[in-house]
Amino acid sequence: MIELNHVTKMYGNVVGVNDLTITLPAAAYGLIGPNGAGKTTLINLLIGHLRPTIGSVHVFDATPSRDRRVLRQIGLCPATDVLYPNVSALEWVQYQVRLHGIARRECKRLAESALEKVGMSAVMHRLMGTYSLGMRQRTKIAQAIAHEPQLLILDEPYNGLDPVGRSDMTQMLKDWTEAGRGLLFASHVLQEIESITSSFLLIFGGRLLASGTATEIESLLAKTPQEIRIIGPDAAKLIQRFANVDWVDSLQLTDGRRELRVSLRDPTQLYREIASWIASDGLRIQRVSVADGNLAAIFESLLRHHRGET
Amino acid sequence: MIDWILMPLDVMRFEIRRSLTPGRITMWLLLVLFPVVLMARLHSLIPDTAMTADEALLPLGATLYLLVPEVTCLLGLLLWATPAISTEIEGQTWVYLALRQAGRRTVLLGKYLTAVVWTLSAAWTAIAISMVLIGATTQWRLWWVMGSLALLSCVAHAALYVLIGVIFYRRTMATAVLYTLIVEYGVSFVPALINKFTINYRLRGLLAQWMDWDEMRSRAENVFGAEPPQTHLFVLAGMTIAFLGVSLYRVERTEYPTQQEG
Repeated sequence: MIELNHVTKMYGNVVGVNDLTITLPAAAYGLIGPNGAGKTTLINLLIGHLRPTIGSVHVFDATPSRDRRVLRQIGLCPATDVLYPNVSALEWVQYQVRLHGIARRECKRLAESALEKVGMSAVMHRLMGTYSLGMRQRTKIAQAIAHEPQLLILDEPYNGLDPVGRSDMTQMLKDWTEAGRGLLFASHVLQEIESITSSFLLIFGGRLLASGTATEIESLLAKTPQEIRIIGPDAAKLIQRFANVDWVDSLQLTDGRRELRVSLRDPTQLYREIASWIASDGLRIQRVSVADGNLAAIFESLLRHHRGET
Repeated sequence: MIDWILMPLDVMRFEIRRSLTPGRITMWLLLVLFPVVLMARLHSLIPDTAMTADEALLPLGATLYLLVPEVTCLLGLLLWATPAISTEIEGQTWVYLALRQAGRRTVLLGKYLTAVVWTLSAAWTAIAISMVLIGATTQWRLWWVMGSLALLSCVAHAALYVLIGVIFYRRTMATAVLYTLIVEYGVSFVPALINKFTINYRLRGLLAQWMDWDEMRSRAENVFGAEPPQTHLFVLAGMTIAFLGVSLYRVERTEYPTQQEG
């Protein structure tokens, strides 16, 4: 379905994506990375909007930037909003389908069918300027699926959706993947992707840091150096335990001796030992967490691992 | 092949449909009123006894030409053709159009046609009202010449502004206005070879030829040209095709910003 071969995209001196090489057969994939990681650059390369500075991009065995016929097989729901306030959803989706060269009469049928799938049938004749953010989001999904593509690319599709909308969207995407069609789902929220697929691509700093199932990535993360925080009245008492092992780089006691920051070379060892240490020493520990508590810290660790720095 | 023609027409239909806003309609009315008011004022300044209807034809016709094909058409096209791509980029909707199989070229041609139709409708309406106001309703040649020159002005200038919009998608309007002032209003009056490369020179040449204003042409040959009408038409057609061709090539190849993040 997708084949990237040493793809690098430069914006002047700024690197958009850096030496991406990956082959993805038709299936569902979650593309995870914080804002500015290179997700949208990668998506724009896949739809042929951007040409790689180095390397080659193939989607369904075609180069999207040269052979635009392949775009007929790709549906994209971008992260940006739609700002056509004085046309209806039906008119807009019909127009988008028409730009693929599909016959006029067929366009109307496809647009109506897509809007029905996203639950917009009742309001599809209303002007889009009167829509809520959630309704516009559903309309964006409709334009992405209306021409019945084989690969659906979604960039933050849950933005603006209420809980009911999220549930409907999740079900629709599950049905989509069960039908054997491709899905690439970009998000910086792991839970959103986990509800649809268990295959992930982790991207950060323009590099593909890891790919595989949730279990494979968890295993990789466990082996990646991390900094963790141990919080509780007896956090300081763990220092002597850490002093006697060779998989700790540094220790830092903060917050009035209530928080211990541990820089680890091999987190697996910690997860194996920590519970027994706390139990056997009878320590009062309230929380163990990743130092910064956010995805960026983990991505930084993975990036160091990817560069071979650890 | 037929779809290649029909699809830009569908884009035009969509664009006209979404352009029916009070703001745009007001703009259209202002474009119509601008030459009409000035023509009415000019006509009121010429006493009925001062010259015959035929004698009045030259100053009135020349003014009508200046106001409609050279000013109204250019103003309308600056507003409609120039921002064809930049409005989609600024509105963050370009990515939706660019990911369609025939999106880029079809949208460009459709927007070109929309600009021509909107501006031409304003220009023809302004000419019709002005002709009634100046009492020239039976001057069939003037009707035909002004209508044709407005059509040619819209077709050629729209292609030029679309090209400017495609190349300079940032500061589009400023670039187009600057180009118009320097080239179409400045260089086109320069008595040298360079003015032959402007659209307005060709339109003025056709005006003098078709209206048989030989005396005016002989007095200012560098401004009105001495070439036959078919030369002017051939050059205008060539310029239009060249501008549109380069625009289509550029729009297919340019990596316009999508203003997305991530």
